[in-house]
Amino acid sequence: MNPPTRTNPATEFQAASLFASYFPAAGSYDEMRLSGVDPRSHWATLVQALERMGPDELTTRSENGRRIICEHGVTYNVYADPQGMDRPWELDLVPLLIPPDEWRMVERGLAQRAQLFNMILADVYGPQRLLRDGLLPPSLVFANPAFLRPCHGVLTPGGVHLHLLGVDLARSPDGQWWVLADRAQAPSGAGYALENRIVLSRLLPDEFRDCQVERLAFFFSVFRDALHHLVPAAGPIPNVVLLTPGPYNETYFEHVYLARYLGFTLVEGGDLTVRNRQVFIKTLEGLQRVDVILRRVDDTFCDPLELRQDSFLGVPGLLEAARAGQVVIANSLGSGIMESPAFMPFLPGLCRHLLGEDLLLPSVATWWCGQAKEQNYVVDHLDEIVVKPALGGQRHVPLFGGLMDSTQRTDLIAAIRARPHLYAGQEQVRLSSAPVWNETGMSARKIALRAFVATDGCGYSVLPGGLTRVSTSPDDPIVSMQRGGGSKDTWVLSDGPVSAISLLTPAGQPTTANRIGAELPSRVADNFFWFGRYFERLEGLLRILRSVVSRMADESGGEGAPELAAMAQVMAGMNLLPARFLGRVPLKDLEAEILQRIYNQNRIGTVRELLLRLRHIAGIVRDRLSGDTWRILSELQGDSRTRPGRIPLANALTLLNTLIVDLSAFSGMEMENMTREHGWRFLDVGRRLERGLGLSRLVECALASEPWIGALAPILEIADSTLTYRRRYFAQPQLASVLELLTQDGRNPRALRFQLAAISEHIANFPRDARGVSPDNHRVEELLRRLDESIVHELAGAFENGRREPLANWIKFFGTELENYSVELGHRYFTHTEMRAS
Amino acid sequence: MHYEITHATTYEYSYPVSLSHHALRLHPRGLAWQHCVDHRVHIDPVPSMRRAHEDYHGNHVLFVTMEVEHRQLTFKSVSVVEVTHPMLPEPRETPSWESVRDFCRGHQSGATLEASEFLFDSPLLQSKALHAQYALGSFKPGRPIFEAVLDLTRRIHSEFVFDPAATTVATPLDEVFKHKRGVCQDFAHVQIACIRSLGLPARYVSGYLETDPPPGRARMVGSDASHAWLSFYCPGIGWIGVDPTNNVVPTSRHVTVAWGRDFSDVSPVRGVVLGGGKHTLRVAVDVISREVPAPTA
Repeated sequence: MNPPTRTNPATEFQAASLFASYFPAAGSYDEMRLSGVDPRSHWATLVQALERMGPDELTTRSENGRRIICEHGVTYNVYADPQGMDRPWELDLVPLLIPPDEWRMVERGLAQRAQLFNMILADVYGPQRLLRDGLLPPSLVFANPAFLRPCHGVLTPGGVHLHLLGVDLARSPDGQWWVLADRAQAPSGAGYALENRIVLSRLLPDEFRDCQVERLAFFFSVFRDALHHLVPAAGPIPNVVLLTPGPYNETYFEHVYLARYLGFTLVEGGDLTVRNRQVFIKTLEGLQRVDVILRRVDDTFCDPLELRQDSFLGVPGLLEAARAGQVVIANSLGSGIMESPAFMPFLPGLCRHLLGEDLLLPSVATWWCGQAKEQNYVVDHLDEIVVKPALGGQRHVPLFGGLMDSTQRTDLIAAIRARPHLYAGQEQVRLSSAPVWNETGMSARKIALRAFVATDGCGYSVLPGGLTRVSTSPDDPIVSMQRGGGSKDTWVLSDGPVSAISLLTPAGQPTTANRIGAELPSRVADNFFWFGRYFERLEGLLRILRSVVSRMADESGGEGAPELAAMAQVMAGMNLLPARFLGRVPLKDLEAEILQRIYNQNRIGTVRELLLRLRHIAGIVRDRLSGDTWRILSELQGDSRTRPGRIPLANALTLLNTLIVDLSAFSGMEMENMTREHGWRFLDVGRRLERGLGLSRLVECALASEPWIGALAPILEIADSTLTYRRRYFAQPQLASVLELLTQDGRNPRALRFQLAAISEHIANFPRDARGVSPDNHRVEELLRRLDESIVHELAGAFENGRREPLANWIKFFGTELENYSVELGHRYFTHTEMRAS
Repeated sequence: MHYEITHATTYEYSYPVSLSHHALRLHPRGLAWQHCVDHRVHIDPVPSMRRAHEDYHGNHVLFVTMEVEHRQLTFKSVSVVEVTHPMLPEPRETPSWESVRDFCRGHQSGATLEASEFLFDSPLLQSKALHAQYALGSFKPGRPIFEAVLDLTRRIHSEFVFDPAATTVATPLDEVFKHKRGVCQDFAHVQIACIRSLGLPARYVSGYLETDPPPGRARMVGSDASHAWLSFYCPGIGWIGVDPTNNVVPTSRHVTVAWGRDFSDVSPVRGVVLGGGKHTLRVAVDVISREVPAPTA
């Protein structure tokens, strides 16, 4: 490939380079490039490797990355965006590299910052000497909405207030790292950093090895052990839960991910309860003691009794339990006060006072308007600085004085003058840039790094890496996931070889099993149950639709007509079509309506709508679904996105067939791979109940259709029993035989009897309910007895002779009973979690 | 004076409550001029847990949990309290309000540091320019602070209408200030916002007031209510109470239970229940002075 003579290798390299059009903005620090065309020395290995790969290979790997992320279901929810639920996570192929010596400086600074914050918290929520000694102005604390008085004097086991700290870092043009912001109550991002690492180390395995990258797992295992050790009076293995606000939170993916990675039970506020100043998790087996709560719920939402009364995310009485010192809450309630930018100018003095050291990692220059001189400075320099809420618990966006018109400026100045302590001015840091791969080449984007510091038992450890966030465009000064920017993996390079530690098999340590992991919160059982029901409802609907669509698309015509007419009535009877289809309706109308039933996601009970519902519930129980199961569900969603197109019926039929196959893959996964725990039992009971109910309704409506005989072949087909029937009876469907096969036949997995027997078996294995009462099998046993004792061919004979009611009532009876049983099950096992403040 | 105070709170729920937690602030504080001789809380159903602690402002809090299923819940607190006349300075001899403002600003020790807790906005109260405008009608330059506060108390008493139908516990300050109607809680909130808007500390006080029966009638049992007023801070003297609802300086007829930045810090009964559906609430308060013979039935 090389030309025979190489007169100017440098230009040739240039022409082929991925970095040919890489132009970092002048005046800012570039992470990769030193000057001219040379990369910084710690980038050399990676840059060469990327150049060797070339654009095609990079594009392929980038696409691979997107696929992996999609399969893992990594998402980030953006509230303001109507399409925002579950926006796929964006990860750039090029990591951010940080050399070892530089990281050591940052690391020391971060550990010191966490230690300092912990001491400040201990004082503010304790003796308040810093206020008395004049090191902190009273308004910084007393006027601070994030200073939570009910948390004052609350015991923190081990004296640790701050267990995990997130710090946003940026690099100024001179290469210095600065702290932009602190995340001190429930920092997010560590899980995304971990997921980024897992994906990128798969995309660039050789480069990851050759660059000698520090591993992340050790940090998490140390953090987990440290949390365990803080428990004052735990049994051998403490119960740790991760408290999430739920699936609507922007970082819910991460909560699920971290809970699974760390082996913690994922809970919502409603899963926990406080009794006798102790925290318990409500499980199907009753209450289980909780020792540690790693929370992702903000301070004020954690306890509606003593904090925000309107919160539905918290646990009433949690603070009283904390007061008893019996539970570790990480981070301790009230720690959000350290997120106040107003603290920043005081940190150097506080650090000298409390630690006897200089502050190693500077915060970006901050002027707190609560002080007269600083207030004037901010007002005089509005053009150059960003104005931010100075205290915690305030939510307004940063304001850029330079971008305001004169009215806005006047208003802002008036607001500052009226309540100066609520505002702080901050220097605008010119963020550094780094290369981002974008299909054709590398381009420069602004970056900021969220670093993480965690308690390690004797001090604080720093995650060697972090979540690097990237601006959306080269000019955008703000780096934010909420604004739709992307992310990068962060590679902290090591001086020597790196030992691989995986959290899954801690080296040289006995594996610790999580005592509570197997137990099931009642809410999760409820979700599994409904997952099972919707799943089966969807499958039933798909099968019914297929039987109709295949007949409509049938070119032979004529022969299928009575069956089609009967099935249109069956569907109308089951409320799957409007009531007018009970009469004769033109085929064209039926076609339009059927397509609606499949594709319209805004109507209740359509294929698309059920899929969304299923997806939603799956998202809630996601921490308990295997990766493969999740992948099948993603495929299901992907497959359902096709449109009717120009041959709507044929396309619809293809879609229905594909979805039915996808669902059977899930069924196989459920049967083969789910552990036979209560979660599986509730899922399967949901499926069996729904299948039994669906079958009863189907038969009931088939018997009511005209001509009912036309419905026999389709319902056999819907119940997947055509083959069995033919093998057994070698004949056209006869009413009595069809009914026997679909109801009483215990060997047919689609028959009513099979569902009842399965439910009965599950009930026998159910846990005692919250009141200690053993499960009651009576109702289902009674149904089984009634079914077995029925003489179906007599009922069928009477029906054929015009006495229709006995058979119709007989089948209806089973549907009603199953519906009642579903309600009873809910009352018994799924505790009502409606909370109300008074 | 010697008082026996009964404060009964009853909730009735339309559906059974399976679990409830409550924080009660019903225990009168001890003060230089007030001594709580006895205090009991009778709770029905019997709580599975009761535990007392002092909150951030030094109020007594009783935390209780009921685990028995119930449709009705009653807290009945009975307190015996001795109250004497607090020491009060001569209004015109108190320092000018500006000097108090300047002293409180940036003074970081002892009682004044604690007083700065009550300088700023609190969950229910945001001081605004209009509060300062209203307050300045009483806070003339150089005026002794107690005199100014008394004048403000008098104006609020005369310009605001006592009207239990006008507000609920949830009516925001802005609305009260606009319509100039409300109950003792609203009157106290208005005056606190006015005083704070000038950079002066003021706090919310909850308690009871001994009331006289209408002339010629016997005392009605349960006719009293819990009461609220406020106090302001004067360096060197301490906290001085004023009652804008009655335009008086609280003396031995006011019994102090708790104080805080606003009502949200001191609500007498606060709880979260599991289940319960809709609820109705009944409150009955009796303040009986021991010298008066008990009413005959």
